[in-house]
Amino acid sequence: MPRKLFTSKTVILFVAVCLFPLIAYGSDRIVDLLYERGIALPLPSGDYILRVVVQACLYMLLALGLNIVPGFTGLLDLGYVGFYLVGGYTAGLLMARLGWSYWIVLPLAAVHGALWGLLRGAPTLRLTGDYFAIVTFGFSELLFRIVKNEQWLIGGPNGFVNDIPPPILFGYQLNKYWQQYYHILILLVLTIVVVHRLQHSRVGRAWAAIREDERAAESMGINLREYKSLAFAVSAAIGAVGGAFFAQFQVNISAGVFEFWESIFILCMVVLGGMGTIKGSILGAGILGVLGELLREFGGWRYLIFGILLILIMRFRPAGLLSKKEQD
Amino acid sequence: MSEPASILEITNLTKHFGGVTAVSNIDISVQEGQIASLIGPNGAGKTTLFNCVTGLESPSEGSVKFQDQNIVGLRPDQIAEIGMARTFQNIRLFSQLTVLDNVKIGRHCRSKSRLWSSVSRNQKQRQEESHITSHAFQQLSFVGLEGLRDHLAGNLSYGDQRRVEIARALAMGPKLLLLDEPAAGMNPQETQQLIELIHAIREQEITILLIEHDMKMVMQISDWVTVIAQGEKISAGEPEAVQNDERVIRAYLGESYDAET
Repeated sequence: MPRKLFTSKTVILFVAVCLFPLIAYGSDRIVDLLYERGIALPLPSGDYILRVVVQACLYMLLALGLNIVPGFTGLLDLGYVGFYLVGGYTAGLLMARLGWSYWIVLPLAAVHGALWGLLRGAPTLRLTGDYFAIVTFGFSELLFRIVKNEQWLIGGPNGFVNDIPPPILFGYQLNKYWQQYYHILILLVLTIVVVHRLQHSRVGRAWAAIREDERAAESMGINLREYKSLAFAVSAAIGAVGGAFFAQFQVNISAGVFEFWESIFILCMVVLGGMGTIKGSILGAGILGVLGELLREFGGWRYLIFGILLILIMRFRPAGLLSKKEQD
Repeated sequence: MSEPASILEITNLTKHFGGVTAVSNIDISVQEGQIASLIGPNGAGKTTLFNCVTGLESPSEGSVKFQDQNIVGLRPDQIAEIGMARTFQNIRLFSQLTVLDNVKIGRHCRSKSRLWSSVSRNQKQRQEESHITSHAFQQLSFVGLEGLRDHLAGNLSYGDQRRVEIARALAMGPKLLLLDEPAAGMNPQETQQLIELIHAIREQEITILLIEHDMKMVMQISDWVTVIAQGEKISAGEPEAVQNDERVIRAYLGESYDAET
């Protein structure tokens, strides 16, 4: 199993990823130059490309966070969007209403998310399988209904929080797409490092043991309560970081973004790539995240395409595109 | 010879499942350094007894003392931590993990690093990890499976899986090892190797409590044998004594045995 993160291959990939905005805006220049000579290329603008990529990166971060619960610990989580929502509203409200700095709000959102993860974890520690899944679904639906209808804190139907200011770094406002690209990239790399290190540690092995056989894990000295809670908290914190990023990226947020469908969408990414693997979550989120954006013009029809895609995956690669066995 | 200390003291242990009494009023005492066996026909309540001792089931009545500490009510992970390890009758390896990872997980209760040290990979955590790995290697070579360490546990042969389970239990650094039918499904040659392995484990000053159906093996290695049938203890003693006990013969061969003799 590859334990090293920084191989020559990943370094090259990393450099390419770092220079990506240059490529995106470079294509803009080429399109402009050719247009002046009377050739119109039907290429999307650099801003559009970057926007799609930022969305996809955000989904990668969320998929990595979700993966900890169903992938590492083996408990089906159908309510991950709940933590995304907690992060989004924590950041949105503190920044837009109280004018707090994003750099303070971001870690606060993570902690706040983790608290909700523990809170949701407390009654579900003894549950497995379908029962656990139902509780997670109910939990996220509950949060969704609250922000949708709540009057006192958010104020008004559909939970609109508007004009969330951009983060300010060394006096510069981070509101351009290329800035947001680097912003999410740093968050994503940090998340990958954290998740990778956890996976290959005593904690990750304990999670895997719980996934494989709870009773045997217990008999090996693993405190189920402690390690499940830890998985919930870390997973929720990552979801909330995603939410906080989303709030400042989107500028205006509303409850509609945090519908149940979104949980399923993120879960599909994890399943598509291969549950329990970091690469799988990234790949799955990359494919569905980009596809979701490109197929936006098809409206509801794109869900049909996703459905067919998932059926094909289940038929031909039931363990996901990068199933754990092949990766090992 | 000084009086041997008792490491496990089961008194009056009873377990009901609804209206069924699986284990009734059983007393067992295991002396330190012994190889003790628990035998009995299928459904006698042997595994239920093991589950009550290791905390997977809570006994309806009675007490279990491990090194003079009452362990009824403790969670399985707490019981593991104070020095009791077990294997399972129906092998419960982490089948999608490698053999090495299985044994490393056994080391869980003897290591400490948690969230922060795992994420920061500080020096203490790295030292602990390399210690866990070398300890796991050691256990694997002790049971003779170091060559299979990178295989998925679920792909191993039956006999090898039983050995991995023993290695995983040994990694927990136990004082008492409970083996639930370790020879089940093994051929005579593998059983012989297992007997040697159990003797080698005893050399490490680990006390062993064994459930086994292979009578030849039980009589060969046990210092003390307890026989239970239908949840009740019917005999206990040294192997020779138990072998000749009328009640034991009847439990195994049935009532008609009396009529025929």
